[in-house]
Amino acid sequence: MKIAISGLNNTDNPAPGIGVAKSLKGHNLIGLSYDANEPGIYQGLFEKVYLMPYPSLGYEEFKQRITYIKEKSKIEAIIPTLDAELPLYIKYQNEIDKLGIKTYLPSLECFEMRDKSKLPEFSKKLGVKHPKTIQITSLDDLILATRTLGFPIMVKGNYYKAYKAYNLDEAIEYYYKISNEWGFPLLAQQVISGVEINYVGLGDGKELIAGVGIKKLSTTELGKVWSAVSIDNKALFEVSKKFVETIGWRGAFEFEAMSDGKDIYLIEINPRFPAWVHFATMLGINLPEMMIKLIQGEKVEKKYDYPLEKMYIRYVEETMADFKDFTTLISKKEL
Amino acid sequence: MLLDEMVIDENNVGFIPSLGISFEVNETAKRIIELIKEGKSKEDIVKIISDEFDVSWGEAYADVEDFFIKLKVYGLIQ
Repeated sequence: MKIAISGLNNTDNPAPGIGVAKSLKGHNLIGLSYDANEPGIYQGLFEKVYLMPYPSLGYEEFKQRITYIKEKSKIEAIIPTLDAELPLYIKYQNEIDKLGIKTYLPSLECFEMRDKSKLPEFSKKLGVKHPKTIQITSLDDLILATRTLGFPIMVKGNYYKAYKAYNLDEAIEYYYKISNEWGFPLLAQQVISGVEINYVGLGDGKELIAGVGIKKLSTTELGKVWSAVSIDNKALFEVSKKFVETIGWRGAFEFEAMSDGKDIYLIEINPRFPAWVHFATMLGINLPEMMIKLIQGEKVEKKYDYPLEKMYIRYVEETMADFKDFTTLISKKEL
Repeated sequence: MLLDEMVIDENNVGFIPSLGISFEVNETAKRIIELIKEGKSKEDIVKIISDEFDVSWGEAYADVEDFFIKLKVYGLIQ
């Protein structure tokens, strides 16, 4: 199958596209990129790479570009992996399907249900706890939130970045740091003491098809996993399963939680594969491949077991590419 | 309690499979954990440690007490 994949960044802020592409090596892969500097373009994983218009330009721009790519490279499916582009793909999934390109995404309603601002209500539905969270759109809101929640406090962006602040000065510093880069709203959140655990899974709209749980052992400054260990946390598995079954989630997801050994606190649910998805593949649970099979209408066996105490280790590698490839991609928007 | 799931390997590293956290333990700690898992009381553990490691009751009591506090701090026992 000819599959297009987005999210080709592979720096210390890696996008999930490379993990997805490595899991789908047997297919003909097309890379969709927003920046010719993304290292994943030059890793030899894609037979062709196209630059895409930013999602903020709207569906018409996207449609024009994707129709061109469809005609030229005969793509049959797309796996979008970036938070910023997912709303567009989800909203227009039926239109994209009409163009002859398959996706495997949740409905817009499901997608909105797990929005960070709706998690307090949503966590009740799942029967898990959720740290007290206050939406912030001004400095006054932040000050009020610190009075309600006390210190330390998490200051978070709605899509990206999260910092722990121990006093008001730090909270204000992070408030500006995040809002200057990512805009509003921001979230102030109670700090939960415990261990952060994550689950990557795939739902078919009714049931959890497969998944893997991990505990991050080390992260980059941006909080991206650098090493991790596979875990078997029954509560995390059960709540991930319930999440899919309760709302009928279709597609990939990453369930982020904190555990104090007794309770599970839902932190957030990402509506896509995480950048560490290839770890699941290495453990024998190839979620992107399962997704492709579901797209093709094939039956996929449920798979919940995987080896425990296996370590995921990310590392830096170097490669060489022709500078001409870089300039070609910039000037012709395809390579 | 989380301590029940702890698996200690040949390198004396105790691993909690549900949370992916690990702890390095010495021989005394390893023995105390075994005894806790066997359901022994703190008093029994002090006596056994004192006998097996050839230390006074007072020294064993202080060490076991200190270790229990650490287990609580790490959330491994209630």
